[in-house]
Amino acid sequence: MSKKFKVSICSGTTCYVLGGAQMMLLEDCLPVDIKDDVEVVGSSCLQKCHEPNAKPPFVQINDYVMESASLTKVIDYIREHR
Amino acid sequence: MEFMPKTSDCAIEVDYCQKYCEKKRIGGDVFLSKKLKEQSRVLAVLSDGLGSGVKAGVLATLTSVMGLNYMGSFRDPAKAAKSIMETLPVCSKRHISYSTFSMVDIDFDKEVRIVEYDNPPVLITRNGSLMDTKKQKADVLRADKEPVQIQVSGFDAKIGDRIVMFSDGVSQSGIGSKELPFGWGIERVSDFILEKIALNPEISAHELSRAIVEKSWLNNSHKALDDITCGVIYFRNPRRLLIMTGPPYDRQKDKLLASLVEEFPGKKIICGGTTANIISRETGRKVQVRLDRLSADLPPESIMDGADLVTEGILTIGRAAKYLENKTELDLFTDDPGAKIVKLMLDSDVINFVVGTRINEFHQDPNMPVDLEIRRNVIKKISKLLEEQYYKETTIQYI
Repeated sequence: MSKKFKVSICSGTTCYVLGGAQMMLLEDCLPVDIKDDVEVVGSSCLQKCHEPNAKPPFVQINDYVMESASLTKVIDYIREHR
Repeated sequence: MEFMPKTSDCAIEVDYCQKYCEKKRIGGDVFLSKKLKEQSRVLAVLSDGLGSGVKAGVLATLTSVMGLNYMGSFRDPAKAAKSIMETLPVCSKRHISYSTFSMVDIDFDKEVRIVEYDNPPVLITRNGSLMDTKKQKADVLRADKEPVQIQVSGFDAKIGDRIVMFSDGVSQSGIGSKELPFGWGIERVSDFILEKIALNPEISAHELSRAIVEKSWLNNSHKALDDITCGVIYFRNPRRLLIMTGPPYDRQKDKLLASLVEEFPGKKIICGGTTANIISRETGRKVQVRLDRLSADLPPESIMDGADLVTEGILTIGRAAKYLENKTELDLFTDDPGAKIVKLMLDSDVINFVVGTRINEFHQDPNMPVDLEIRRNVIKKISKLLEEQYYKETTIQYI
């Protein structure tokens, strides 16, 4: 059964040094109320940092690409959209 | 594989293992080896100083260093041996030389020359049996004008051959015990070596030398009664490693990048998210990031069919360079992706780097919290370290 949200965390160099390192821990930080709806995967690079005025770190939630992502931003987004 | 530069078709692995005599902190056995890259030569010396401890250690070191340097400049180990014999001091009480030695000189077309003085014989194995090299005796004068004999031999090495040299700590191990009253003996040592090779025809010099030393130690009921040293030289098909990092400058070459990975005969590492994506796109194989294997301060590794290791790019490569520079930081338990790269490198003989030169502009942003070096420069540094300190053969191709 596929889950409602698929979160891809960019683990490319740029995202990693600009805060993506923390994002790797998302799976362990998910609150109980949304935990069952979220699937966390890694991406070797979402290729978003090549675009002009990019704001890493990036996380992709289903089709939505979140810039300047953080753990709280991702959790808030999922709570809002479920 | 026309894109890949030509590399040698034979690798010479040299390794040794040693245990010092019980309760001695300095041993009287010394094994030294050296690769002369410009001349494609490999030299090795095993020297055993009289007794054990500091004095023996000094004598054996003196002998082996002289051996290496003389062989390097004379191109004739017999001549080198003569010079050493003329200088080596002789024990005033026992009238025997203060140290014995075996020297091996291998030149670029695998011609091997061996000189021995009073050490247990150097053994050569080919196709699972011992090879007789018809040792010739030569008379030389010792420092005290006493004539002594050295043994000179030579042969043309083939892939699969091994040269095994050991000190009398090996051949005399177990002496006086019930099982081996006269010691292990050359014959039994040779049988042991052949047995090991029969069990594992590709046994590395590293493993074989360790096995021989461990067995000698066991013969003495877990003691080293004399210094135990064994050096092995193994001619083998080179183990190849491909390290691919960075996207090609010209996007049209993405296909070439993927085909290089496909066709490479050896192990493969891909360093870099974009690079991994390109190869995944071109080959249709998925990259999967291992979020379950996080290391403290490096981006996680990924898995992809057809690659032995997939990592992030510049941070991980930088870490690998750091480990190569300072071996002490890398121990058996270091398990981050940088350490994995280094372990694969050290396990290979020939390392081909394929470096994409397209630059990620974001990396040059002055607001980046860490210094990101240019990939090309880090790879150059790694390649130099591998050649100079680890005797690896490397090539760098820019794409």
